[in-house]
Amino acid sequence: MSQKLSVVGKRIIQPDAAAKATGNAIYASDITIPGMLIGRVLRSPYPHAKIKRIDKSKAENLPGVEALITPEDTAQWKKFDRGLKDLPMIAGGYTVPADEGVLNERARHFGDAIAAVAAINEHIAEEALELIEVEYEELPFVIDPEEAMKPGATQISDFAGSNIGKHMSYAFPEGDVEKALGEADCVVEGTFTTTKQEHCTAESAAAVARIDISGRLIVWSQCQLAHLARREIAHIFNMPVRKVKLITPVIGGSFGQRGSLCAEPICIALALKTGKPVKLVYSREENFIALESRTGFKCNLKIGFKKDGTLTAIQVYMLGRLGGYMGCGPMASAIGMIFGLGHYRCPNRAGEADMVMTNTPVSGAFRGFGNPAIMWGIEQLVDEAAEKLNMDPLTIRLKNIKRAGEIANMGLCLESTYLEECIKRGAKAIGWREKWGKTKKGKTRRGVGVATMTHCSGAAPLYLDHSNAFVKLNEDGSADLVVHPAPVGQHIWGALSQIAAEELGIHAEDINIVTGDTDVTLFEYGSDASRSTYAVGNATLMAAHEAKEQILARAAEMLDVSSEALKISDRKISSRTDPKKSISVAEVCYDAIYNFKGECLNISGKCSWESKWNSPPAGAFFAEVEVNTDTGQVTVIRFVTAMDCGKAINPMAVEGQLEGGMQQGIGYGLTEDYVINKDTGVVETDNYDSYKMPGILDMPKTKVIIIDEPDPKGPFGAKGVGEPGMVGVAPAIANAIYDAIGVRIKDLPITPEKVLEVLLDLR
Amino acid sequence: MKQIATFIVNEKHYELAIEPHMLLVEVLRDELGLTGTKHSCGIGSCGACTVLIDGRPTLACLTLALTVRGKDIRTIEGLAQGTTLHPIQKTFVEHGAIQCGYCTPGMVLSAKALLDKNLNPTEQEVKHALSGNLCRCTGYIKIIDAVLAAAEAMSKEAHP
Amino acid sequence: MARLLRPFEYREPQTVGEAVRMLSEYGAQARVLAGGTDLLISMKKRQVSPEYMIYIKNIPDLNFINYSQEAGLGIGALATHSAIADSSIIKNMFDLLATACNKVGTPQVRNMATIGGNICKAGPSQDTPPVLLVLDAKLKLVSPGGERLVPVENFFIGPFKTVLRDAELLTEIQIPNPPPVSAGCYKWATKTVAVDETLVGVAVLMTLDSADGVCTDIKIALGSVAPTPMRARQAEEVLRGKRIDDRLIKQAAQVAAGETRPRSRADYRRRMSRLLVSEAVAETWHKIR
Repeated sequence: MSQKLSVVGKRIIQPDAAAKATGNAIYASDITIPGMLIGRVLRSPYPHAKIKRIDKSKAENLPGVEALITPEDTAQWKKFDRGLKDLPMIAGGYTVPADEGVLNERARHFGDAIAAVAAINEHIAEEALELIEVEYEELPFVIDPEEAMKPGATQISDFAGSNIGKHMSYAFPEGDVEKALGEADCVVEGTFTTTKQEHCTAESAAAVARIDISGRLIVWSQCQLAHLARREIAHIFNMPVRKVKLITPVIGGSFGQRGSLCAEPICIALALKTGKPVKLVYSREENFIALESRTGFKCNLKIGFKKDGTLTAIQVYMLGRLGGYMGCGPMASAIGMIFGLGHYRCPNRAGEADMVMTNTPVSGAFRGFGNPAIMWGIEQLVDEAAEKLNMDPLTIRLKNIKRAGEIANMGLCLESTYLEECIKRGAKAIGWREKWGKTKKGKTRRGVGVATMTHCSGAAPLYLDHSNAFVKLNEDGSADLVVHPAPVGQHIWGALSQIAAEELGIHAEDINIVTGDTDVTLFEYGSDASRSTYAVGNATLMAAHEAKEQILARAAEMLDVSSEALKISDRKISSRTDPKKSISVAEVCYDAIYNFKGECLNISGKCSWESKWNSPPAGAFFAEVEVNTDTGQVTVIRFVTAMDCGKAINPMAVEGQLEGGMQQGIGYGLTEDYVINKDTGVVETDNYDSYKMPGILDMPKTKVIIIDEPDPKGPFGAKGVGEPGMVGVAPAIANAIYDAIGVRIKDLPITPEKVLEVLLDLR
Repeated sequence: MKQIATFIVNEKHYELAIEPHMLLVEVLRDELGLTGTKHSCGIGSCGACTVLIDGRPTLACLTLALTVRGKDIRTIEGLAQGTTLHPIQKTFVEHGAIQCGYCTPGMVLSAKALLDKNLNPTEQEVKHALSGNLCRCTGYIKIIDAVLAAAEAMSKEAHP
Repeated sequence: MARLLRPFEYREPQTVGEAVRMLSEYGAQARVLAGGTDLLISMKKRQVSPEYMIYIKNIPDLNFINYSQEAGLGIGALATHSAIADSSIIKNMFDLLATACNKVGTPQVRNMATIGGNICKAGPSQDTPPVLLVLDAKLKLVSPGGERLVPVENFFIGPFKTVLRDAELLTEIQIPNPPPVSAGCYKWATKTVAVDETLVGVAVLMTLDSADGVCTDIKIALGSVAPTPMRARQAEEVLRGKRIDDRLIKQAAQVAAGETRPRSRADYRRRMSRLLVSEAVAETWHKIR
C-alpha cells in the first residue's frame, strides 16, 4: 500500500511547543482563579490504622482556614474505584468494587488520605494540617503479598473474604499446556520479580474545582480519560452528569498515572464544602505515596520448545501486589498475560494471576501496564532456551514471531507486522554479528542482548474503544477539530492535525484543535492503551473524510465538474483532467457559509465510532552493556530500538516516545527501586534524593529505527507507539549482561551487588 | 513580618511585601504570576525551578526570596522578545525536545547559562550543564540535539 | 511532605562579629543560612525548625579564594562549590579539591552551596571533607570570645556532628602548600546514578622524594564509609617510606578497606573502598611521574 502523503510523515512542530518553551503554557498547578483557596491533605503515618478521634478545633480556628473535612464529612458521598475500571468499559463485565472513600477512616497504607483543609494560601493550609490532632489505633499490617494471602492475615478490603482482590485468568487460553510442557524437548523456567516503579511525572497531581453560577461543578482535571472521570465524579458526588464539566489543561506528564482519579475527589470535596474555587496540588512526596505506581509482580514462567526451536507451550503464574485499594492493578496482570503469552506463535498457552491487597500505596498502570513485567521474564527464558538448543537469540525469535495473517495477541487478525525487519535492522545497528557470543575476558566485559515485544493500538476488543471527532471548516479554509485525547506530552494534537489536514488536503497548521472541555467534545474514551493516534486518529480521519465529501460536492458545483474528477491538495481543489478548473478550499468554505443562493452550509464532518480493530505495534530492543566484574557496575553503552508502529505520522514524535521509553526502561532495569520499610510500612523512597531515575549523564548512545510500513487498519497506516518504547529495555539489558559475563539477573532492579553475587556464585 | 523589597525580574522592577520564609519560587509564581518557573520536587534534585540569578542557574525552590532582592533574576518568561523566541527556545521547539514541557523552562535556562559562556560546547559539556535538570519524557536525546543546534545558530549570529 | 517553610525571624548580619553575637544570643533556636541547599531541605522535611534564620551571605570578606607562596591557600567559607571548581589556582595546584567540589550536587546546587556550609553540615557521605583531610586543612572558627584554628581531622566527631559551638561561625579554610613533588586526586563511586550521593569517596595526596623515587608521605582519606570522614592510616603506613609498585598499592588498598566502618551496604562499600583506593593511589602516582 503506497500512499502519496504531503502532511503525514512530516516532522512538524507541535502547536503547543512554543507556549511550553516560553513558560506560557498553563498547567493545572498554574491555574489561579479569584477567591481561590488552596487545599492540603493530611495523610496517615501508619500503614494500617483506624482513626479513633480527630480534633479539628485548633486547625479550624486558625485564621484563613475555610474548611476542614474528615471522613465524617465525606461519608455523604459515594465510595469509588479511582482506576475508573468499575465503569462499563470492559468486556466480560470486569468490575472493581467501589472501595475507596474521598477520605477514609481506616487508613490502609502509609499516606492514605484522612483529612483535608482549604485555606486562603498554602502556608496557612500547611500550618492547619499540623494543628489537626488525630488519635490512631494502629492495626496489624501486611506488606508482602505472599504474607497477605495467608489465612489469618489482616483483612484489608471491606468486600472480600481474603486479600486476593482479584484472580485473573489469561483471556485467550489454548491447547493443553501441561501436556505440551511434558512433551517438549526443552523446557525453560524461572521466577522473575519486578518493582513498583514510580512515574516521576514532572508535574505532580493537581486539580482545581469550582462551583459556577448555575451550580455546576467545573473541574480542571489531569485525568487521561476526561469523559469517564466526569461520569465517575458525578456518581461520587451524587450529581447528574450534566452538572459536571471537566476541563483538561496541558498535563505535565502522566505515563498512565493520570488514567485514574488523582487529586480530583478531595479537591472537589473542599470546593463543595466551601462553595469557593479550590486548587489542590500534591507535593512530590504525595505523588510517591498517594498515587498509583507500577504494579510489581513475581512471575513464575515455564516455556516449552521443540529441539528445532519451535515454541510449543507457555505458562505463567503472576503474583501482583495491589496495595490498599485495587485501582488499575488487576488489569496489569490481564494485560501482561495477553501481551506476554500472545507475543509468540504458540498453540498451548495458559496463565493465572493473583492480585493481592497489601497495606502499601496503590499499584496501577504505568507505560506498558503488565507487559514490561512479563517480558522481563519471557525474553530471558527465550535466550536460555536458545542457548540450550544451540541457537542464537535472533534465530529462535525469528522462528517463533507471528507473521501477518496469524491471530494477534488480542485475538484479532494480525493485519501487519514487521517485527522481522525490526530484529534484522536493529541487530545490524547494534553490531550484533561482531559482538554477540564472543569469548569475553578481562575486568570489564561487553555484551549485547535482544528483547522483542508486541503491544496494542487501543484496547479493542477488550475495552469499549469509543471515540468521536468533529471537524468544522471555517470560512478561510482552516478547520477546527473537536477531539478529546489527553495532552500529556505525546504530541497528539500535532498528529491529529496532520491526519485531518492530510485528508482535507490542507496544511497541518490550518487545523485548530478544539479540546479539553467535556461540554464541547463528544464522548471520548480517552488516552490510554496507546490508542490516541490510532483510535482518535481514525475517528478524525473519518470525520475529515465526511467534511471532505461536502467540500468536493460544493466544489464540483462551483466548477461544474463531477466530484469524482476532483482532488484536494495544498489547500486547492482541482480537476484531475483539467487543471485549469481549480478553486481554493477557502473559497468553497466561504461560499458555503455566506451563500446567497439559499444553500448555506457550514461544512463539517463527524465520526462517532468504536474501534473494532487492534493493530499491535512490535519492536526489537538491543542493548550493548559493559560490565565491570570488579565493581559489578553495569553501564549501558549503546541502545537501539527498532519499532514497527505502522506509518509514523510524525517521525520526530515517534522517536520522542521511543527515546523517552528508553529512559524509563533503563530506570526500571537498573536504577529505580521503590522501597517500603518492612517493619514500619513507611515509604522510604519518597522523593528524588532517595528514588533515582536516569539523568542526562546516565543515557547511552541511542539509535531509533522506525520501520514506517503502513498498517491496513490504522489512520494512514499508523499504529500506537505510546507505550512500547519501555517494554523491551530491561530484558535486553539482562540478556546483554548474560552475553557479557554469563550470569542472569532475575530480580529488578539490576544492581552492582546482585551482579557480583551471581558472578561469585559462578566462581 | 512582611518586608518591602525590590525584585528585578526579567529587567523589570517590582516592589513587593513578602515574608522572610517565602521561597523565590513562591514569589515568582504567586506574587508575580510568572508560572513558567515550576515547583516540582522541592528538594533541589530535579531543576524544574531553575532560574538565572546574576547569570548563574539557581534553584528557586531552595532560595529565600529576600536573599535575592536587588539581584538580576531571569525566568523563562524573560527570554523571548515579544513573540520572537530565543534561539534556544526555537531549537527546542524545532527538534521535538519538548514533550510535556514541564521541565523545559529549567532546561532552557540551564542551557542558556552554558551558551552565554561557551558557544562551542562539546556534547559532554552540554550534558554536564544540564545534569541538574531531570526529564521523564524525552530521554534527553533531542534536548541535547536542540542545545547543540542553538549553539551553532547563536555562534553563526555572533560571527557571521 | 511540605513544600514551604514555617515562619522564622530573619536576620542579615553585616559582619562576622554581628553574626556570632546573634548566634550567641539565640543559641539553639538559630540556624546559619548560606546557600540553603541543605538547611532549607531539612526545614521542608520538618527535621529542623529554627526560630531565627541568620543569613550570612551578605557579610563581606567571607567569599574569597586567595593564594600566596607563604600562606598557601585561603578559602572563605562562603566560596561556592562552582567558584572553587572553576578557580584556576585550585585546578592547577589543588586539583583534587576542584574535582570534589565539581562532584557536589548539581550545577545549580554548586552555584548556591558554600564550602563552609558543606563542611559544617558534616554529612558522612560528603565529598569535600576527605579532600580537606589529606590537604591538612585548618578551619578558622570565630566566636564572640575570639577565634580558633581547628585542624579538619579534629572537626568532625560524628554523623552531622562537629566541634562547632553554638555561637561559632566557620569563616575560612586554610590549606598549606603541598610539598614539592606531590600530587593528589579524588575518586568516588555514587550510590546509583551518575548525579547522586557518594557511596564511597577516596582522596589521596602523595609526595615522592623525587619524580620516581620513594614515597616520603601519603595521605589517604575516605568519605561515606564511616560515621565521619576518615584517614586510612594503616594503609598509609604500607606505602610511606617505600618505593611504590602495583603490588604495594593493592596491599595498601586491602588494608584501607579493612579500616572502614560502613553501616549500610557494608560489604559493597568495603569492596569499593579497596578498588577506589587502589585506583586513586595508582592515578596519583602516575600523575607525579
